[in-house]
Order: sequence, then structure tokens, then C-alpha cells
Amino acid sequence: MLTFILRRILITIPMLLIISFLVYLGLELTPGDAVSHMISPDLTNTVTEEQMAAMRESLGLDKSFIERYWSWLTHIVQGDFGHSLSGGVAISTIVLDRLPATLELSIFALVFSTIIGCVLGLLSALKRGSATDSALTVVGMLGVSIPEFFFGLVAILIFALNLGWLPVGGRLLPSYDSYWDHFPNIILPGLVLSLMMTAGVMRYARSAMLDSLSREFIRTARAKGLPQWRIILYHAFRVALTPVVVLIGFRLPTLIGGSVIIEAVFQWPGIGLEFIGAVRGSDYPLVMSIALLSVLAVLLASLIVDVLTAMIDPRVRLG
Amino acid sequence: MGKASLNRKFDALRAKEEAGLLKPASGSRALRKMMSNQLAVAGVVIFSIILLASIFAPLLTVHDPLKVDLRSMLQTPSAEHWFGTDRTGRDVFARVLYGGRVSILVGLGSALLAAAVGVGIGAYTGYKGGWVDVVALRASEIFMAFPQIILVLLLVSITGQSLMNLIIIFVLTGWGPMYRMARARVLSLREEEYVQALQSFGVPTLKICYKHILPNALGPIMVNITLTTAMFILAEAGLSFLGLGVPLSIPTWGNILNVAQDLRVLQNNWWLWAPVGAVISLFVLSVNFIGDGLRDSTDPTLQG
Amino acid sequence: MANDLALSVKDLKTFFYTNKRCNKALNGVSFEIRKGKTLGVVGESGCGKSVTASSIMQLLPRLSRIEEGSITYHSERGDIRIDELERDGAEMRSIRGEEIAMIFQDPMTALNPVYSVGFQIGEALQYHTDLTKKQRGERVIELLTAMGIPSPGERAKQFPHNYSGGMRQRAMIAMAMSCNPKILIADEPTTALDVTIQAQIFNLMNKLKSENDTAIMLITHDMGVIAELADDVAVMYMGNIVEAGTVDDVLRRPQHPYTRALLDSIPILGRGRDQDIKSIRGATPDPYERPKGCQFAPRCDFATDACEVMPTEEAVTDTHRVMCHRYKEIFENA
Repeated sequence: MLTFILRRILITIPMLLIISFLVYLGLELTPGDAVSHMISPDLTNTVTEEQMAAMRESLGLDKSFIERYWSWLTHIVQGDFGHSLSGGVAISTIVLDRLPATLELSIFALVFSTIIGCVLGLLSALKRGSATDSALTVVGMLGVSIPEFFFGLVAILIFALNLGWLPVGGRLLPSYDSYWDHFPNIILPGLVLSLMMTAGVMRYARSAMLDSLSREFIRTARAKGLPQWRIILYHAFRVALTPVVVLIGFRLPTLIGGSVIIEAVFQWPGIGLEFIGAVRGSDYPLVMSIALLSVLAVLLASLIVDVLTAMIDPRVRLG
Repeated sequence: MGKASLNRKFDALRAKEEAGLLKPASGSRALRKMMSNQLAVAGVVIFSIILLASIFAPLLTVHDPLKVDLRSMLQTPSAEHWFGTDRTGRDVFARVLYGGRVSILVGLGSALLAAAVGVGIGAYTGYKGGWVDVVALRASEIFMAFPQIILVLLLVSITGQSLMNLIIIFVLTGWGPMYRMARARVLSLREEEYVQALQSFGVPTLKICYKHILPNALGPIMVNITLTTAMFILAEAGLSFLGLGVPLSIPTWGNILNVAQDLRVLQNNWWLWAPVGAVISLFVLSVNFIGDGLRDSTDPTLQG
Repeated sequence: MANDLALSVKDLKTFFYTNKRCNKALNGVSFEIRKGKTLGVVGESGCGKSVTASSIMQLLPRLSRIEEGSITYHSERGDIRIDELERDGAEMRSIRGEEIAMIFQDPMTALNPVYSVGFQIGEALQYHTDLTKKQRGERVIELLTAMGIPSPGERAKQFPHNYSGGMRQRAMIAMAMSCNPKILIADEPTTALDVTIQAQIFNLMNKLKSENDTAIMLITHDMGVIAELADDVAVMYMGNIVEAGTVDDVLRRPQHPYTRALLDSIPILGRGRDQDIKSIRGATPDPYERPKGCQFAPRCDFATDACEVMPTEEAVTDTHRVMCHRYKEIFENA
């Protein structure tokens, strides 16, 4: 298993290099140069032209493009992404500051949608052709068709503005003492973000389940005289799980993307909200860094999915 | 379905069969399946209504979607203004109709373009193989490594906001999955005997590829186009809602919804956001119904 | 007489209700399986061989049902009417796998890919015996050894994809034989395998039959296999048994034109390339557009107007019966 993971990591490295190169290219082509990214703009006034020139030289800006890229890359590997154009804060500080909020929201949505999606999909497949099945199918369709932000707005209107049960947005308030105090804040954004994913997982789990229920080995299991629940859970569901896990892996980028808009709707102070701010303010170093990190997240997610499928499905381990 | 109702159904079928009333079905199997799928038919109807209403917007409303009328600001829906008016007195119904033109153009247009690019490249490089195939594959991997909306926003921040830019960006970010699918289909079809027979007759590569292989991959391509259309319409709405999509001066469904970011509008002026939200949802829903129907009717593994 | 019967099927009708049509897959089928004997069921694909097997096991698809007739299992506890049991009820489940076991055509797809072979064999033991987990493990290895699988201890831990086709079918047989069933239904067990493996599987089945007194129902489309293995034969065509009897009866003195046509269509080894192989003209009819009377009439060289009426089963001898209006005349002519 370890060699499998190592090999899997090794094949993503060239990909990451190419993408980082493209991102750097984008950075070079947009206004502002590396010096302005690397020193805090607050200091710009106190730094003289000569010092800037010296700095450029020490940073190697007089060097070739490839050398500059290499130096940028080595900084990034060490966790130094340079500085944001607005406020001059180190990008790594911003990311570390915002990351917990985004992780919290994404993991909530991931766990919720996986469990609920699988259960509903299973139910739908077992009750195929029934009223429950049709109702779930239509609800699933609606789930993937309503724009998330619109759903979020309606949820805010009903549960926050009219009923006043839950807060309109935000995450941590100064008055909160313990970590759990902000739990009401995550309910709406978490559920809204889960909605599309849940619907997707449900639809997929249903068809994967129907597919595995129609396989020959189900007949073998029945011919053995196994009880119905064991056939469904041990044989059909276990086999249906592999494609569902793969689908969830494929959807993770969508989840990351979805959280950008949901964070904006609910003013959830995560990476997505920061990213939108950076795009609006043309804060290119920040935009590029977050984009690069999101690629890293996607690649990491697909690595986890590969490891998971290898664990679930013995056939994959060979390949 | 309960056991008793199943038994009743069987009895009825058996009686009919024995009376010789049941005849083998005729006509195109795919078309028949599509028509018997009520959701898909409903999808086609809703899709056509919204599409036609947008195309023939001038016939359906006398109002100009851009005309500011400060004397009639924030009016509730009435016979004169079906969906009311917005903060500058523009007719919301007219804006939804004209906005549909742009939104559908962006969604459907980008999806068709992305399909043309993706399928074109995928079919050719998949059939050719060799280094072109490797390059195309790596390129698609790079585009697909980004979460779509992040890449879109990244490109928007570089190119700036305009209708044309948005379509180009959508095509750039959306061709990957189409390419992958077309390539996979071609790779498997390439091994089919009829293709090898054509090769042995000396039919040129390009001709085999586009004339004999592609039509066989048409079903999944159509399904993919519908799903991509739905995705782009949602993406345009989301981006415009954030104020980062189509420039605000052009009415689109997303831009109309933009005002709902203001919680006071959300609470007090429902007509500014509820109808257009419903229209987007309905349109995307209809596209998804069509896509599902197409998949069911063209996928031979789902027979029976 | 009744004492040596394992299973009897009387006038069984099983209909399918897919695609909003009614397909009379089994239209009145009767036969018996004797203890410790092999009944071979032959026929072209789609003739109802597998439906018969599924009916006995109550493993029919959802959109189908047993309409009429009876399936009686002569167990040690007395006769059990299988057709009256609930499809997936406790009684039916306790018969399945324990008293009547089944092996399927394609061992590639009949085993669950995500569980080890040992686990899948052990599952049957878990539900039908009181063995502890450890004892079950030992029994699995014992079974695999009996099936001639080398290093069974390691093999039990492996997954189906580590097995070759022949080994998978042995594993399937091991699974089916795990609880010493009284009846084994084998649905084309070697069709998906190489000819050399085929012989090994059949030897194994014969050994089991003689050692455990298991009754076997062997479904096949291969007359050669029947000649080799079966004690009794039933020839099926379009949902009916058109001829049945002992192997000698049916293969040496065929009465039904269809049986004869089947026998004539087999090339015989050693007779050289000039032998006269006759194919049966036409194709099996659409199950929804069945001929009115004798189902074989449109393809039969001897059909007359009388064949517009469905023939009944007639006894040729005590052990031999046929479903044809004209078998006497034809037999005389031959």
C-alpha cells in the first residue's frame, strides 16, 4: 500500500510543476513585480530606490525568467508565498488564518452529503419504482438544478430573517466563549453547501446500487440462502461503494468551488471569501497563491480517493 | 411496489396478452423511450417555453429592460409590470426575458463551443495517438486540476469582465471533460472490427474518425452537452450574482439576482429576486430532465 | 418409486412480464429428478432451461411469477411445495444453499469481486450450520482441497480475480457443496470454460454425485455433455419439454423431430469432413409471436395441419414421453 501511495504522489509532481510554472507565468504577466510582492507595502515609503535595486539583485530579478521561477518555487515549497498587495500581509498568514473556516465548512458538507446521499440513494434503489423513489428522484433533480446561492438566499430569508432561528451569516463573534457557540452559524451554510452534493451522491448511489443489484453475484448470494439485509449491505452496497467514492472524489473540486459562492452569501470568513476579495481587488499574488493551493487540494483529494478505492476494492490494488 | 399491486398488474397484462391485444412496438427505440419518459417530455416543454419567450421577448413585453424610470421605482407586480420594477424603475419582467437571451447564450453557446473544441480534439488525437495525444491529455489534466470556479475567477481577474471573455473562459475551462469522454469513446471504438475493416479498405484516417466513429459517440456527447449547459448557466448566475460575471450593465439572470445580496431587498422586495430565481431553477431543471432522458434512451445498457 | 425422487415438477408455468408484455417462458413443464442421478436438460438458448432452474430456486426476477403447477421438494422432513413458499422468506432461504444449491454459467461474474473466495464460501456455512468461525475456516480449506485447488490455505484468502476461470468454477462448486445439498442445479457450468477444464469440472461433479448421493440437474445446450453425464434427459423447446426419458431412450430412440434435428446437427469426430451435418431451418420464433399449436411446427419437416393444435405429452414407454402428434408415423418412416 505504501509503494502504491508513493508512486501515486510521484506521478502528480510533474503536473504540479507545470501548473506552478503556469501560475508563475500569470503572475509575471500581471502588473507588479516580485519585489512588490515580497516586501510589505507598508515599508515601501521607507525603502529607497537603491535598496529596492539591491533587493532586486539579491532576489535575482536581473536573472533569467527560469531562475526567477526557480527561486519563487523554492520559496513556496518553504511556505513563503510572498505578500498580498493590499495590506501587505504575508499570504501564508492570510491562508492559515482563513483555512480553518473553509475546512470546517467543507468537511461538514462532505460528511453530511456522503451519509445522507448514500442512505437516500440506497433507499431509492431498494424501493425502485415506488412513490418514495419518484419523490426522491424529483427532489434530487431539484437539488442539482437550483443555484446554490439562490437556495442560500431563500434559506437566509426564511430561517434567519423571518423566523430568526439562525444567524444570517458570519462565523465567530467576540461574545462566543467556546467552540460550540458558533455551531448555529455553520448550520445554514453547511446545509446549503451540502445540498447539491447530497443530490449528486444520491442520484449516483441509486444507479450504482441498481447496477450492483443486477449483477450475477447477487443471484449467487441469494442462491446461498443469505438473508435480504446481508445481500443488500454486504454484497450490493459494498460493491456500489467504489463508484460512489470515486464520484465523491470527483466532486471535491466542485465542493471547493461551491464553497466560494456559499462563503460569499453567508459572509463566512474562509479562503473563498478572501479569494473573491482578491479577484475584485486585482490582488494577483493572492489570487494566484490561492488558485495554486486549490490545485494542491484537488490533487490531494484525488490521492485520498485513490487510496480509499484501493482499500475498498481489492481489484484496484494490482494496477 | 407492493406484492398485491404487482400481481394485479401481471393479471391485467396476461389477460391482454391472451386476448392478443399487445403488439410489438414500432419506430425508433430511442425516440420511443424518450417520449415515454414523462420528465424528459416536461423538460423539453419547459425548455422550449423559456427559450422561445427569451427569443421573442419584444413580442411579449412593451418595456425596455434598460429604460430607467424614476417615477416608478420599486413597484410591486401589477398588470402593467408583471414582475414589478426595480430600484431604478426598470421593468423586471422585461429584464428576465432579455436577460434570458444572454444567460442562455452564455450557457448553451459555451457548452456547444466547448463540446466542439473538446470532441474535435479528443476524436482526432484519440484516433491518431502518439505525441499529439499525450500533449492534449496533459493539457486537459492541467485545466481539470483546478476547481472550475477558481479557474474561471482567476481568468476573469486577468482578462477583465466582458461577455466575450466569459464565453471564452467557459470554453477554456469546460472543454476538458468533453475531450476526455470523446477520447475514451474513440479509443474503444477504434478497436471495433468495423473500424479495422475500414482501415483495411484504405479509408483516410480523418474520414474514419469523423464520419464513422463520431456518430457512434453522439449519444453520450449530447448528454454531456446538456449537463454542461446546466453547469454553465448556474456558473454564470453565480458569477454575476457576485458581480464578477457579465458586466452589470447587461441584464442577465445572474445580474438581476445581484441586488438580492442586500438583505433589505431580500426581505422586502421579493419580486426582484424570487421570479428570476425560479426561472433559472426551472430552466436548469428542464435541461437536466432532457439530459437524463437522453441518457436513458441512448444508453443501451439500460434497456428493459 | 417415490422414495428415490428428489424433486418433482408438475405442469409448471412461469411467465415474464417485462416491457409491458407477457412472455410465457415456461408453458407447462413436468419432470422429476432422481436421487443420486443426473437429469440433463437440453435446448437452444431462450428455451426456458434457466427459467426452470430459477423457478426451482425461487430466484426469478421481480417482474415474473409462477402461474400454475407445482414444484415439490421431497425432503427428509417430508414433501415441501416450493412454489407455495414466499420468495425470500425464511423457509425458502433455509432450503437455498443448504438443501438445493446452484452453480452458474459464468464463474467470472458469479463471485463477488470484493470479498475473498474463502469468505464467500464461509458465508453459506455461517447461515446454514452452527460451526464456529474457526471450524468454518477449516471446512472451507477442506472443501477447496476436495475440489483439487492447490495450496487451499492461501487460495482461500485470495480474491476471485486471482483465480483462473476453471478455479473459480471449482470455488463455485465448493460453495454449492459446502452444506452437502440434496440437489445441485448446474446451469451451463462449463460453457464459459475451456474444453480441457470442462472435463475436469464434470469429473468433479460425477464424483460428488456418487459420493454424496446428490441429485444433479445439469442444464446445457451440448448434446455431447448429455451423452457423457446424464442418466435422464429432458429436451426443451420454447417453454415446453418436447421429449423426456432416460439417456438411452432419448439419444438412441429419439421420437420428436426436434430431438432428431438436434442430434443430426452434431458433427461426429472421426467421420471425416464429408459427413452430412443438418442445420435446423429457420430460427426460434419471437416469444411474443408464438405459433398457435406445436411450437416447433414452423421449423418442422413433418408439420401438417394437425400441428396447429398444441400436442399433449404422450408416453412412448414407461420412462419415455414425447410431445408430438405424429411421432408414431415419423418413427415408422425412419
